[in-house]
Amino acid sequence: MAKGSKAGSPKKSGGSAYFKRYYQLYLLLLVPLLYLLIFKYIPMWYITIAFKKYSIVSPVIEMKWAKNHGFEYFIKAFKSKDFLVALRNTLSLNLLDLVCGFPVPIAFALILNEIRLKKFKKVVQTITYMPHFLSWVVIYGLALQLFAPSTGYVNMLIQKLGGSPIDFLGTSKNWVKTYIGLGIWQSFGWNSIIYLAAIAGISPELYEAASVDGAGRFQKMWHITLPGIRGTIIVLLIMALGNIIGSGFDRPFALANNLVMDRAEVIATYVYKAGIKGSQFSLTAAVGLFQSVVNVFFLLGANWLSRRFGERGIW
Amino acid sequence: MKKVLALILACVMLLSLAACTTGVTPSSNEPAAEAEKEDNAEAQEPAEAEEAEEAEEAGEAEEAGEAEAASELVDGKFAETRHITVEIYDRNNDGGSDPTNNAYTEYIKKGMLEQHNVEVEFVAVPRWTEVDDINTHLAAGTAPDICVTYSYPTIKAYADMDAVIDLRPYLDNYKDELPNLWNWLGETNLYWDSDPNDGTTWAIEAKLANMNRVITFVRKDWLDALGLEEPTTKEEFHDMLVAFKDNAETLLGEDADKLIPYSVSFDVGWRAATLIESFLDPDMSDKEYYVNGFDDRKLTQNGTKEAVRLLNQWYNEGLMWNDFALYGSGDTTEDDMMKAGYVGAFSHNWDYPWRGGDDSIAANLKRLVGEDAKYIAIDPFEDQNGGHNKFLAGPIDRKVFFPITNDEPLASMLYLDFISDPETIQYLQIGEEGVTHNVLEDGAIEIIAATGDSIQNSGMNIDYTITCNGLHLLTDELTSKSLAHTYAGADPEDILRADQIAKTDTRVGINVQTGDIEAEGGVGDTLSSKRDQVYDLSVKAAVEDFDTVWDEGIAEYLSSGGQDIIDERTAAWDAVYSTDNIR
Repeated sequence: MAKGSKAGSPKKSGGSAYFKRYYQLYLLLLVPLLYLLIFKYIPMWYITIAFKKYSIVSPVIEMKWAKNHGFEYFIKAFKSKDFLVALRNTLSLNLLDLVCGFPVPIAFALILNEIRLKKFKKVVQTITYMPHFLSWVVIYGLALQLFAPSTGYVNMLIQKLGGSPIDFLGTSKNWVKTYIGLGIWQSFGWNSIIYLAAIAGISPELYEAASVDGAGRFQKMWHITLPGIRGTIIVLLIMALGNIIGSGFDRPFALANNLVMDRAEVIATYVYKAGIKGSQFSLTAAVGLFQSVVNVFFLLGANWLSRRFGERGIW
Repeated sequence: MKKVLALILACVMLLSLAACTTGVTPSSNEPAAEAEKEDNAEAQEPAEAEEAEEAEEAGEAEEAGEAEAASELVDGKFAETRHITVEIYDRNNDGGSDPTNNAYTEYIKKGMLEQHNVEVEFVAVPRWTEVDDINTHLAAGTAPDICVTYSYPTIKAYADMDAVIDLRPYLDNYKDELPNLWNWLGETNLYWDSDPNDGTTWAIEAKLANMNRVITFVRKDWLDALGLEEPTTKEEFHDMLVAFKDNAETLLGEDADKLIPYSVSFDVGWRAATLIESFLDPDMSDKEYYVNGFDDRKLTQNGTKEAVRLLNQWYNEGLMWNDFALYGSGDTTEDDMMKAGYVGAFSHNWDYPWRGGDDSIAANLKRLVGEDAKYIAIDPFEDQNGGHNKFLAGPIDRKVFFPITNDEPLASMLYLDFISDPETIQYLQIGEEGVTHNVLEDGAIEIIAATGDSIQNSGMNIDYTITCNGLHLLTDELTSKSLAHTYAGADPEDILRADQIAKTDTRVGINVQTGDIEAEGGVGDTLSSKRDQVYDLSVKAAVEDFDTVWDEGIAEYLSSGGQDIIDERTAAWDAVYSTDNIR
């Protein structure tokens, strides 16, 4: 696609001369294109597993079609209570993540932008990026140290102060809060980078002009900084919406425990349990395909909405 | 220069693309068999014509799995060196030896090469995630030639996809070549998983030489310190837990708030097994036990609910570990608490406190708490007949199977034969004299803590003796004499006592051969995860909510496939057996 649009640009008449001159760039472009082809497009062929009776010893093309015109496993998934629970949990956890987690890096970037002390700013930035590099398994270990009802530091503190321990990880309600909270803690620093970059791109003249007009800090923030990064916010929001029923595997998997599975089982962990561990590859391929299709619709919908509101969208 | 580089890069990518498209197609067994033939053909060239013919015959016969193929073995040896890969559990012990390369693997490799001309390569698989790992290997076609797992459903799932080799023809046709395997496992274990109709056998069952299962342990020094008798009933056991709790200051001083009277892990069904089993009817019919027996943690057996209700009461009285459900499989937090001396009583495998030599719970207790500090075995949970009912599984242990990617089934069979050789088992279990064991005055073997390459990563090297679990020396007399001395640093009296309790009022499982139960396919892991949830939530529930939580959990378990299994098992039993009891 990229190739076509570029080759179709003004130099049409001198096509061969153009290629002679720039072919090296195209060769370079070939590498990422091949990457996409090999790791993203060729595997798509295996989506057909969702419609076939999986066998480990025969190639995909020779596998028999599943019953009900190939939709046997989709029907099975939607009849399965476990899948529906996982779907509900995925949706609710991701929505909560979006509502609670999305504004945090923006607010953080705005605040950070107001700090004049360069050194302090750098230190704060570095500290807030760090959790991003921790694996979720490590974070669960930390969470246990902090939040376990009898041995967690937080609960010991609460008890010392005369309160009764809070079961942060052991009841579904509290677990969801902990899950969302840890998610925000882990990612807000990292996610703020892109906003800070966008803020850095706003022309200082605008701020100067506003100062001359007598605008205060908050007015400048509201009328210059925020509108200045609106495009970025919308693009990131679209991307986030595109992943509304997708989810990473490691976060819910590492943070879950037996007491909260009614909330913690998401599609990714369900696929792992039923598919990889239970060897029901067709069923879980169907679930994965369904997930992707819904995600594409959300992505398209969000993009359409943003264009309706006069923003550029992502294409 | 740049151009060349770019071109090379592009070419490499193209090549890898080509490699990928051919590589991802799961290969059927045919190419492998053909490759084998080719190997033979190549080997023939320099040889004389007669031999060549023989070899070719052998190659074909092996593909067909017929008895004549034995002719390619001369005195149990292959003419050409064969190569097989064998799964080995990696327990990742602190200061353990490399599971794929140590004194014992050397012994096996040397023996196999000398006796059968077969090269052995070990593939490490993490012990605590073995099912996941083997699954991934199988799905990717990279599984070792000889696989070991505790999960028969996993094997069955792959057998249903034609990804496992039927072992029956090899067992029957090569019987003469496999004397040790047949002597050790016999029809009982070799045919345990055979299909009653057509005999197909996807796995053979290792033998449980010592069938001891779960028993209960208590801190002897705590009983002494508080002047308590060993509990002999649930009532007394409960009173003892309360006494531990009330006297925490006396027992632990500053650490009083860390005291845990009775500890279970997230796997309640296993870790409270003796308590749960004491609530089941010891005379329950074989049919009832089988029909409700898909879950080996007895979730759906009649009586389990009352056992968990009792645990729930204890939990709410503060007699149990508060955070048990938050720590998953393989986590050492609970063990560490036992080692540090915070845990009063617990139930576990009959020899658990003494497992692990220098790093065992018993050894750590001695080091960290004091000479007197130790756990002893007790039998406090009485059943309805006044006995101490314990349900044992059958004489079976791990399941050994060959994935379809195994090109050397015969060589692999010979490996199983070698590993079942009494001498091999004895060597692997007790090692070299002076290094891993001493010989006592009465001839008994005493295990000592080995160092370096000779460290046994698992108790008595159970991970290498894949057809045998439990001490099995050359003579039965030596075995029984030595059993109490096989735990480095442990008091033999304690071991004998634990062994005796573990053998009290047992009911051995029987092999019910009703053929495949369709409903069991693919649901094993989902259901065991659900089972743990039911147990954990019910133990942790408020006393007044217990019934609701339990009933909802069981309903959920049953509707996720549990009920289908029960129904199908009932029907299968009725179709095969005419009575409710078959022993």
